[in-house]
Amino acid sequence: MKVQELVLIIEDDEAIARMLSLSLRQQGYKTLMATDMQSAHRAFRANRPDLILLDLGLPDGDGKTMIRTIRTQAAVPIIVISARHEEKEVIASLDAGADDYVFKPFSLDELAARMRSAQRRFQGLSPSVNIISCGDIILDIAERSARKSGEYLKLTPTEYNLLKYFMLHLNQVLPYARILKEVWGVGYQNEMQYLRTYINSLRKKIETDAARPGYIRTEMGVGYRFICDTTTPE
Amino acid sequence: MTTFVFPYRHYVVALVLLFVISVTSALFGAVMGLTNIALLYLLPVLVIALRGDMKATTIVTAITVVVFDLLNVPPLFSFSVHDLVHAWSFILFFLVGYTITYQAKRIQANAIKEMFLDTLSHDLKTPLSSLLGNVSLLLKDHPVDSQTRRALLLQINDSGQRINRLASNLLDSARLKDGNGVLRPEWCDFEDIIGVALQEFRYHPNQHRIEVVIDPDTALFWGDCALLVRLMVNLMDNALKYTEEGKRIRITVATDRKTITLLFFNESSPIKKSDLKNLFERFYRIDDRADVGGSGIGLSICRDIAAVHGGTIDARNCTGGVCFEIRLPIRKASDHPIGEAL
Repeated sequence: MKVQELVLIIEDDEAIARMLSLSLRQQGYKTLMATDMQSAHRAFRANRPDLILLDLGLPDGDGKTMIRTIRTQAAVPIIVISARHEEKEVIASLDAGADDYVFKPFSLDELAARMRSAQRRFQGLSPSVNIISCGDIILDIAERSARKSGEYLKLTPTEYNLLKYFMLHLNQVLPYARILKEVWGVGYQNEMQYLRTYINSLRKKIETDAARPGYIRTEMGVGYRFICDTTTPE
Repeated sequence: MTTFVFPYRHYVVALVLLFVISVTSALFGAVMGLTNIALLYLLPVLVIALRGDMKATTIVTAITVVVFDLLNVPPLFSFSVHDLVHAWSFILFFLVGYTITYQAKRIQANAIKEMFLDTLSHDLKTPLSSLLGNVSLLLKDHPVDSQTRRALLLQINDSGQRINRLASNLLDSARLKDGNGVLRPEWCDFEDIIGVALQEFRYHPNQHRIEVVIDPDTALFWGDCALLVRLMVNLMDNALKYTEEGKRIRITVATDRKTITLLFFNESSPIKKSDLKNLFERFYRIDDRADVGGSGIGLSICRDIAAVHGGTIDARNCTGGVCFEIRLPIRKASDHPIGEAL
């Protein structure tokens, strides 16, 4: 991590903004606060932050337009903060180019983990392309095989592709439609049945306790996330 | 909301009354005179109007007027009315019915509001006072040892979670009140739903005592996954609250072609019969255990969630503990059986 990275906090609730700022400063970040879209745009142009936390419920406009604008100007991780029951908004923000999201009320540890993995992705520190390992699972892309605790897993082609897609996007939230499009192909975006079925069977093969999954976490209403972050609190 | 048990019970009561009155008036009509009979016929209208349901009032009043007209207003057994006074009394029937219905509605709304505020203030203030109390202890100048500090912080965390759950419940309950239009059905995997619900209790000291058994034949279920998660969370919350140290909790998912049955079992002493019946009523709480931190609204939402899926929920005492059973009809069959990797 670069020393003293700058985080732009765009949040209209002062208490939350201050808490976020305090916690981020303790973790060694510099912070900058903006309470509405206008001042956020100004702060963004003037300071070029290394990461942006964006509350979707801002008083002066739609956060998604802000995400799109930023995306055209800079490669910077954006993490959306949103209230519950706004899954659709979250999916739309992810489609607009946001990297991740947390629902209010969120835990600071969780947010920190999300920030770290978003930054890692942006710094190109993604896992080496041929062999990806996570916990006791090792995926060998050249060999098209997967092992758990050294033993080869018997995966169907779709299960393998699904696992591969997950492991190429560790810790990243993957909306349902995106997974379906990437693994099954265009035209399958609405086939939730396929996805649920294969997630269930994949979990049976890779999870130790399928009812308490440690790898494939469901992000209710949004998608799935393959957890592989030793720093994620569990 | 209280009509889920048997929605047409009040119709039956009013119509039986109407029948009895008709028989009475047929037998003693000559002695009583038309005015007294007309007053008698107001009774079913009053009975139904007290329910505060305009539709029910309209239907029952219409039936009453027709029966009264046929059996008692000359010429008998015909709809023609000789005297305009009788037509006027028919209108009066409706007038009385609607006035009382309107008043009953207002009274009910007030009662619900009051119960709601009572429950809300209890369910909200209990965790809030624990939260504020613990914070003020931590803010005091004299130092607390790290173990106490951690205990206080865990308490604060727990209270926060409780307030959070209450907020989610209130939001979902508001959504449910709007009726079927807001149901967002999709294909749900119960294993997944239970997993998500368990996530909410990942810091709970007793969560490892929850054992999950899922029938491998369980297919995907066409329902509102978010609401089903809420159902699971509330029942887990309930089970964790009422299960003593060292006792077990077991969640079983079983299925046949027509229904999915979820069984929540927790080892505990039996619940009184009268309490079992009322468990799912809004704002009901088993009184002598008020310190457990009320679930006045949690279980009633469970019932509503089961109901919007066309299902039922029951509580009963079973061997060694208490069982909550949810039965959900499979309304749309999944053509993708789980367990059969393709």
